[in-house]
Amino acid sequence: MTTNASKITIEFDDRTVRRFMIASIIWGIVGMLAGVFIASQLNFHQLNLTSWLSFGRLRPLHTNAVIFAFVGNMMFAGIYYSTQRLCKARLASDLLSNIHFWGWQLIIVAAAITLPLGLTRGQEYAELIWPINIAVALIWVVFAVNFFWTLAKRNEPSLYVALWFYIATIITIAMLYIVNHLSIPTSWTHSYTIFSGVQNGLVQWWYGHNAVAFFLTTPILGIMYYFLPKAAERPVYSYRLSIVHFWSLVFLYIWAGPHHLLNTALPKWLQMLGTFFSLMLWAPSWGGMLNGLLTLRGAWDKLRTDPVIKFFVAGVTFYGMSTFEGPLLSIRAVNALSHYSDWTIGHVHAGAMGWNGFMAAGMFYWLTPKLYGAKLHSTNWANFHFWIGTIGILIYVGAMWVSGIMQGLMLNATTPDGLALVYPNFIDTLTSIRAMMGFRIIGGSLYLVGMILMAVNIWLTIRKGSPVNESREVAVIERTQRDTMGLKETFLNDPIACTLAGMLLVLAWLFLPPGADIAALICAGVFGVLAVKRFQSGHGRWSAWYDSLLHNWMPFTVLTFVAVALGGLIQIIPTVMVNRATNVEDRIQQPYTPLELAGRDIYVSEGCYNCHSQMIRTMLPDVLRYGDYSRLGESIYDHPFQWGSKRTGPDLAREGGKYPHSWHYDHMMDPRAISVGSNMPAYPNLFTEKFDQKTLWKKIAVMTQLGVPYPAMTDTEVKTTAVEQGIQIVKELETQGRSGALPDTKIIAIIAYLQKLGKYDVPELEEKLKKTPEGIPFPLKPGIPDGYRTSAVTK
Amino acid sequence: MTPQSPNNGPVLREHTYDGIQEYDQKLPNWWLFTWYITMVWFVIAWVAYYQLNLGESGEEQVDKALANIQAVQLKELEKLTDDKLWEMSKDEKIVGAGAATYATTCVACHAPDLSAHLNGAKLPGQPLNDTEWKHGGNPLQLLGIVRKGAPDLTKGMPAWEPQLGLNRVVEVVAFVLSKHKKGEPITLSADSPLKPGAAPAAPTAPAPATGN
Repeated sequence: MTTNASKITIEFDDRTVRRFMIASIIWGIVGMLAGVFIASQLNFHQLNLTSWLSFGRLRPLHTNAVIFAFVGNMMFAGIYYSTQRLCKARLASDLLSNIHFWGWQLIIVAAAITLPLGLTRGQEYAELIWPINIAVALIWVVFAVNFFWTLAKRNEPSLYVALWFYIATIITIAMLYIVNHLSIPTSWTHSYTIFSGVQNGLVQWWYGHNAVAFFLTTPILGIMYYFLPKAAERPVYSYRLSIVHFWSLVFLYIWAGPHHLLNTALPKWLQMLGTFFSLMLWAPSWGGMLNGLLTLRGAWDKLRTDPVIKFFVAGVTFYGMSTFEGPLLSIRAVNALSHYSDWTIGHVHAGAMGWNGFMAAGMFYWLTPKLYGAKLHSTNWANFHFWIGTIGILIYVGAMWVSGIMQGLMLNATTPDGLALVYPNFIDTLTSIRAMMGFRIIGGSLYLVGMILMAVNIWLTIRKGSPVNESREVAVIERTQRDTMGLKETFLNDPIACTLAGMLLVLAWLFLPPGADIAALICAGVFGVLAVKRFQSGHGRWSAWYDSLLHNWMPFTVLTFVAVALGGLIQIIPTVMVNRATNVEDRIQQPYTPLELAGRDIYVSEGCYNCHSQMIRTMLPDVLRYGDYSRLGESIYDHPFQWGSKRTGPDLAREGGKYPHSWHYDHMMDPRAISVGSNMPAYPNLFTEKFDQKTLWKKIAVMTQLGVPYPAMTDTEVKTTAVEQGIQIVKELETQGRSGALPDTKIIAIIAYLQKLGKYDVPELEEKLKKTPEGIPFPLKPGIPDGYRTSAVTK
Repeated sequence: MTPQSPNNGPVLREHTYDGIQEYDQKLPNWWLFTWYITMVWFVIAWVAYYQLNLGESGEEQVDKALANIQAVQLKELEKLTDDKLWEMSKDEKIVGAGAATYATTCVACHAPDLSAHLNGAKLPGQPLNDTEWKHGGNPLQLLGIVRKGAPDLTKGMPAWEPQLGLNRVVEVVAFVLSKHKKGEPITLSADSPLKPGAAPAAPTAPAPATGN
């Protein structure tokens, strides 16, 4: 292929790889230590030592550290190592590599400082405050430029499958991160997301689910495609399986986000798309597992001796297990049991510890000897790490299965006559899983011991050797051998035309009014048959086109972007564009008063949403336990939405007015005084700290800008209104025998907020139109499929 | 050169990437069929549940179950009178069950000894061991307040009927009555909304700052 080419010697930039690897190990241990600590807090509330060491603030620290610091740095190490070799080119820019590395570590440090301080955006895995968001976006762009520039300089005409996954990762994370972090600042450390209620929920889980997909899955699949065949010294099982599962995975994953909102107020069509796309995602996910495991055919003997292969095999197996469990949990009936329970926690940990953690370990054990020119200090230790890690995961995940299913069954149990709950007290269900929560600490600790052992093992290896940068003689290829494809060639061909036309017909089936929808479905079926026929006759042309696509990084990237952008566009645009008045189910939330808004910000800042949902599902047990099921209009002014994803405590959607102020007052001071056996942290600091009055006016101004109907108020008016309401609450507390509260303390604000939860108006149509902001102006107002159905929608 | 795999089936692709080669095996049939089934299921389920609207939605199921509960409760309530509740308060089994529910659900605000005081501190609830009542001391009045909660919710009692179910509510009332005697004098507390001339319950929260 590379005839008449001149040869040059290049030195790979392995220093950057080494740095990212070491950073990943260090942050991994920190993040997992935080995990063991917060798991212990759930069983021993006394461990909520101070406000900045409370569960609600540390849980985001744990998740962000493991995802963005541990897996993030691991991914950068793996991507930079393999990309240089697959491109036969040194990383494009040492400067960019440096900025990328140090920038990313600074972001992590900033996160580790701000999260315990209670500075948060209040959305899961998107907690970091806006200045850090901007830094993340910038550093991601630096990474992207460095990566794509290396592709552009490559001396290998064709793109290997690992690179496809890296490309998908880079562009999709950029898209998800930016859209989900769109906010308006109210100060240097606080902002409100531009989306509210259901829109915010949809965008958040489009992001949250695909952070799992494109941060924890696709880059690691790419790493698997490079490091696994390298370690096994066997060819990859199937090229065409790579093609099919890559494209289907990146296309389908994006649609599955709504499965985090099943049985909620989310419109039915979105819930159904979430479920069915998750089911259709099962096989493409397993395509990756098959290509990993079957590559080992003929090399299974290495499983006995080589810890690297052990970690890879177990990692890929855990991947297969989690991606089977995921679709299972997306089925509405299963989700009714599992959602908000520890089952979900077990599921993500099977993925994070089993797949991400073990793939990381395998890669590090394989890389270290190469990067430092020394044999691994101890293979036995690595084997021990493998076993203690595996046992740790099994204990952890097993405990979470038992815990989640048991608590789910108890919470949903109704008496045989269907008239009452079997376990009316939430606390009984919590008490029954305490033992399982204990096993989780053991499992997590064992896993952490393995990680520490790996750190020591690698440290001793590093001390024995010295940093080695690999040099290689490569043939410089001519420009005509790569990157020559134009727009026409990219889009005007059978495979793309057939795919796009087929998708258009399927969309018509989903969106068109009754009658036309079935017609579109039939057309789609007929078209599908014709397309398959065309594929069979023109098979050679299709694969030749794909081969040439692989010689062109830009068209490949554009097509990948089209594939990942579609699902989000189709789900989010109708939900955001539509005039919200038509989508509130006849209830409109009462806007928060200044004091209540201040209280809400404290609720968000303390991370209450980590344990309390605000979404009563359309299920009898939920309705009996917490009240009437939540409607869309009831969170229309919630920036950010607080529907939650886990109920370590009960749902709070209708908490307002349920108990007297004194109940909340006592409960916040010592939850166990009211609720024996509760594991909620005490919040004594709220009784002395003042709520924020300084930026309250600005916050209300931003809320107004976002469409919340506040009257015009001056700064003084806002403060006076807030304090007056505070005085009112203090007076009411006094009549209830709680004297000494100060009207400007956080506890008063949070009581005001809690007493407001679930308050709504039932407006007339005209009033509704006035109170609900219109959708974003857009020439074409797409219809919401539910609009054509009778049952799922009001008017 | 077209190297063959050991089982002489799949072709090993010619190109190598940093020493990595790829077979071009056919897609496993079981895998393909699993995938096809999920796609066909999507089409069938979407048409059935969505476009033809078969089956009941979650909302419909909940509404139906709630209507059933309400109907059964209405019938049960018709049977309940003050006398009947007093009678129940003598039934050890019913009172025992009520005591158990009281111990988990009511005790936090009304105290184990019904005094609404614990170690000298006033708890959020009203005392239930005296003869002065805020919301009326007749058995049916008691039942009403446990079922539906106090009229002014921010200062009082939540509605317990949904969460506990009518049976448990009746048992708890029987338990409270067991600490009292039929015919004992009943007085209304000073802040009772039942007192003639008492102000109607204040709005539960200050009006929201909505000026439009």
